[in-house]
Amino acid sequence: MTAKLSSLERSERRLGIALLAPAFALLAGVVLYPIFTLIRTSFSENKLTEPWLAKPWIGFENYAKAMGDERLWEATWHTLLYVIVTVPGAVALGLGLALLANQPFRVKWPVRLGLLLPWALPLVFAGLIFRWFFEYQQGLVNNALIWIGLSPVNWLTQEGPAFFAICVAIIWKTSSFAALVLLAGLQTIPKSLYEAAEVDGASKWQQFWEITLPMLKPAIIVALIFRTITAIQTFDIPKAMTDGGPGNATETLAMYIHKTTIDSLDFGYGSTLAVLMFIASAILTSIYLRHTRRDPSAGRH
Amino acid sequence: MMKFPSAKKMTLIAGAVVAINGFFPALWILFTSLKTESELMRLPITIWPAAPTLGNYTRVFVDQPIFLFMWNSFVVAVLSTLLCVTVSALAAYALVRLRIPAPNVILSVLLAVAMFPLISLMVPLFSVMRDLQLLNTWWALIFPYAVLSMPVCTLVLISFFQDIPRDLENAAMIDGCSRIGALWHVVIPLTAPGVFTAGILAFVNAWDEFLLALTLAPRVASRTLPVGITLYQGEFSFPWPIISAALIIAIVPICIIIAVFQERVVGGLTSGGVKG
Repeated sequence: MTAKLSSLERSERRLGIALLAPAFALLAGVVLYPIFTLIRTSFSENKLTEPWLAKPWIGFENYAKAMGDERLWEATWHTLLYVIVTVPGAVALGLGLALLANQPFRVKWPVRLGLLLPWALPLVFAGLIFRWFFEYQQGLVNNALIWIGLSPVNWLTQEGPAFFAICVAIIWKTSSFAALVLLAGLQTIPKSLYEAAEVDGASKWQQFWEITLPMLKPAIIVALIFRTITAIQTFDIPKAMTDGGPGNATETLAMYIHKTTIDSLDFGYGSTLAVLMFIASAILTSIYLRHTRRDPSAGRH
Repeated sequence: MMKFPSAKKMTLIAGAVVAINGFFPALWILFTSLKTESELMRLPITIWPAAPTLGNYTRVFVDQPIFLFMWNSFVVAVLSTLLCVTVSALAAYALVRLRIPAPNVILSVLLAVAMFPLISLMVPLFSVMRDLQLLNTWWALIFPYAVLSMPVCTLVLISFFQDIPRDLENAAMIDGCSRIGALWHVVIPLTAPGVFTAGILAFVNAWDEFLLALTLAPRVASRTLPVGITLYQGEFSFPWPIISAALIIAIVPICIIIAVFQERVVGGLTSGGVKG
């Protein structure tokens, strides 16, 4: 009997491994093998513009070059600025939208679609739409400024205003996913908590700080993590709005890597930048994950 | 004393704010797409198109191979979705139901590998696809997109498989079904909603992707919609009315999908996302 059971178990295990195999084969082909070539290339000189070179192994030369590459540090700084501004910005706007959306509406679809549409819109389209909003002459923003009696701003051709405009676009586009996650979190808070607080005479404001925010903490942390992971890779929206300009003032790490490899065809150095970018994002993500793991309820709703 | 609006009115205002925030940019683009070039040059700008015209839409089809972009987007999204959902469903089933060693570790490894930053992956993928001579083909995008949606699809499907009582499957097996037969006749029909939800999420992800599409399929004939529209080659400047019309054409399919399947999309996003 026991022998039969274990043979059943063994066949089940074999089936399990067979069912997992396609997923891991796909990951091996699309992620693991490319990572292997990425690391190898990062130690070589490999320029597609100079195909006669034999892609010589140059050790850590590319990495040494990166340390002194001013444009890399600027791009890193810009990326960090986008993270610092748009992560809390998107989650805060998302929280506001979620609180507004968490009402007993009789007709639910306008609100639900209002939250879903920005999520479903391609990032690069959001970038194009906001580029149109911030256009100097025909843009909605400058026309509104003129209408209330202010002077128009050259949004996309000056460093500060361009950064601001890009952040507005990113926050608008990414807040809707945060809002959906936070709304799901809001709907799990038991009504009885608010009823009890009402009986005790707590104001709406107190209820928000004492009940809503603490109960929502796990969902807020999930939203922050997701937003951070995507913010580190910011590419589409600045690409569509300024293409990194004026000069390199709004260029992100992702854009610099793309320009180095695809536009300048310097694969050796581009690979080094990609490895450095992966290490940096892995460190940031793991700090975040460690932070959430301390709270056992985080990540589960 | 100030009169506060009634609770009912407040609810209505709150809903209107959320809806306007979500719809306004797309509506503005819709208005722009219906204006003539001369109306667009007029200052101050108009809000409603004075003489709505579909001229920009015909220009889109004449000036740019937008049908081709759409066909590329469609084929890539559908095939990558099929691949992703199949692979994820098999893996999710194995992780939930079959007694494989350390399922949690395997799931973590799968998620960690699949979530490798796209921008770092783009560089070697270009070389690999170039060596395989797959640049500017659908396949250069289909395989990476299947991996892109693998985490969310696997998580959504795991939560669906967990909700199916094991007894149902056992009953089918006692009645003489094989394990695969039970999977086919009992589990698959019950998880159809989950498979469908995962499929919608994967489709939207693929439809929206830009960085890889720009890198791996940049030739005009193989561009997807996001790349085709962003790299629009105008004669002089960026022709906003035509771009607007192209944007509207490109977002109509996803608008239909999210409008028809809104509850499913929200459920999938929050279960797959929050449980991550």
